Amino acid sequence: MNLINLYAKTQNRWFRLSALLSLLLVFLVLPHFQTNSQLIMMSRIFILAVYGMSYDILRGYTGFINLGQAIFFGSGVYMGVIFLNVQNNLWFFLLAAVVIIFYSLVFGWVMSKIVLRTGGVVAGAMITLALGEIVRNIAERWRDVTGGQDGLPLRFSRVALDPLFTDRVGGYYFALAFLVIMTFILRKFIHSPTGRVMMAIRDNDQRARFLGFKTDRYKTIAIIVSAIAAGLSGVVFAVIVRFANTDYLGIGYTLNALLITLVGGTGTLYGAIIGSAFVTWIQSFLLDLGKMYEGFTLLRFPMLFIGSVYILLVIFMPAGIMGGIYHLRDRLNNRLQELRERAETGGVDKASHRTANLPKE
Amino acid sequence: MGTIVTLIINGLAQGALVFLMASGLSIILGMMGVINFAHGTLFLWGGYSYVWSYYGLRGWVITQTFPEAVPMTSFGAILKIQAVQLPEGAALSFGQELGIFLAALVFAVGVVFLLGFVFERLFIHRVYGNAPAQILITLGVQVVFTDLVRVIWGPNPFPIDRPPFLAGVTALGDARIVHYNVFLIIVGASVALGIHRLLTRSKIGMIIRAGLQSPEHVQAIGIDIKKYFTLVFAAGSALAGLGGALYMPLVGNVVSTAGINNQILAFIVVVIGGLGSFMGSFYGSVFLGLMGVGVALLFPSLSVVANVLIMALVLVFRPDGLFGLAVSKK
Repeated sequence: MNLINLYAKTQNRWFRLSALLSLLLVFLVLPHFQTNSQLIMMSRIFILAVYGMSYDILRGYTGFINLGQAIFFGSGVYMGVIFLNVQNNLWFFLLAAVVIIFYSLVFGWVMSKIVLRTGGVVAGAMITLALGEIVRNIAERWRDVTGGQDGLPLRFSRVALDPLFTDRVGGYYFALAFLVIMTFILRKFIHSPTGRVMMAIRDNDQRARFLGFKTDRYKTIAIIVSAIAAGLSGVVFAVIVRFANTDYLGIGYTLNALLITLVGGTGTLYGAIIGSAFVTWIQSFLLDLGKMYEGFTLLRFPMLFIGSVYILLVIFMPAGIMGGIYHLRDRLNNRLQELRERAETGGVDKASHRTANLPKE
Repeated sequence: MGTIVTLIINGLAQGALVFLMASGLSIILGMMGVINFAHGTLFLWGGYSYVWSYYGLRGWVITQTFPEAVPMTSFGAILKIQAVQLPEGAALSFGQELGIFLAALVFAVGVVFLLGFVFERLFIHRVYGNAPAQILITLGVQVVFTDLVRVIWGPNPFPIDRPPFLAGVTALGDARIVHYNVFLIIVGASVALGIHRLLTRSKIGMIIRAGLQSPEHVQAIGIDIKKYFTLVFAAGSALAGLGGALYMPLVGNVVSTAGINNQILAFIVVVIGGLGSFMGSFYGSVFLGLMGVGVALLFPSLSVVANVLIMALVLVFRPDGLFGLAVSKK
């Protein structure tokens, strides 16, 4: 009974808001107690969470699987490094952000034009995979700009020293602010009328079309919005990792986004934050483990473990962690409703008997 | 004139290789409605098992015939790939070389057939009729099994040779005809013909063709279509394995990224030819192969993007494939 009371309290708007604020406060104080590598990991988690959300908008809210999402993320990383190499300050960062928004807009539009012709999820996935790998190929050959396979490091020689881009704590706050702002914007987008139509398309494309919505137009909007979010997260990621290479453009990073949304749960938006934390943490854990035990060749292939986790997730837990929580919440809500109704009609005994059997989570 | 003949043969050989991959992919897609993003991994497994068994077998035969032969530097990790140097002036007979080559091919195809069987039983059969889950699950399998190749045979690329009896080049006028390319064209053409006959003339083919149109009806007649699904999936995988085995000697360099790269080529062929159509994948492969060399000759700087560009154009103007052969299946 305690559990249900507590849960009923959380329904209170103010309680939720203050819980959120105190969580934010914890994250604001936290960096002063962390080592540099922990700071970098946290910053990565924040940014990859936005990247995961960008993917979730597409896959979770329209059902479209884009296997070329890393194009936008990787381009963002390159754009960030290239612009900050010219002048290392906030203005050039903002310039990079503006350029990537424009770039994602154009490329996202072109991609949607190609992909939406055949309509199917299968064809879309095949085509975006091909597009992604081709972009990676081009980047690998275009050595003057991208540095080819060696990658492109962020130099600090031509610096107008901005603490934002040199200090790890500054970077942490930067990433945190980025996450909060993007979460707010994307949440607004999802709850807008456009977002509602997208969900209708996900649930039943044909029905949405019969209702008079031009579904292709909404899918195009979803692709473009998610492309822009992914590109922006790439630009911020460049500030943290200070390095760009073609891996960020490849299928590996698309898979990362897929994994993040799968762990967290698709169509939940916030799930991406949990997913990002889990995926980033497990990756760095495996990396550390690999350094500790040099002899184990298996540990040099982190994708082996991550991929296996991913397969198991797809098979056994398709709704992810956040999806599981939502599922549980819905069940609780139904139970609560039932209880209230029973209380009103006088069947109190039966109701209290029922609560005893509730799952203890 | 000579250059053009050379280029056409090169292009057709390239097309034959892609066809081996694309046809399996296309039949699986058309009949089972399953899209296999792990096809490139099967290709890769075929290639590595061929190379491993070819050098293992050849080394064994050489040391049996010439005990004084010395082994060369080995590559690989858990399983080693080690060539054995023939003594000065010595050679294996044609029969021996052919036997080794064929045995290695059969071994590679067998391994991949089994792998395809296991994939179908373990993963694919759970997700029939659920395209997004198929994409996600096979993508995961692709990543895991590609890394498994790197664990077993090592992540570093290494060079290999063609079998000696296919290594030559004939000069015909000013055309240079690479024997291995001719061999690839012959294999590709006979496989295409074989599958075509199998599909159109045999009982199994009849069931598969019926399955392409309506699996439910086939099931209703009392044929266990699930069993044929497994068989078709494993056979399609085996074709990819054969492609991989023949690909490695062609490029002469064993790289673990070959799988995904060739998978993308196969995808492009399947899209150009029309999703799920066997004949479409045949035309598409020939088209892609010839176009590849044509673009490389005329606009070398465009060769990276040409394939995708063509695919994009085909999709924009002819969403059912260049030849309008797409099998409509949701």
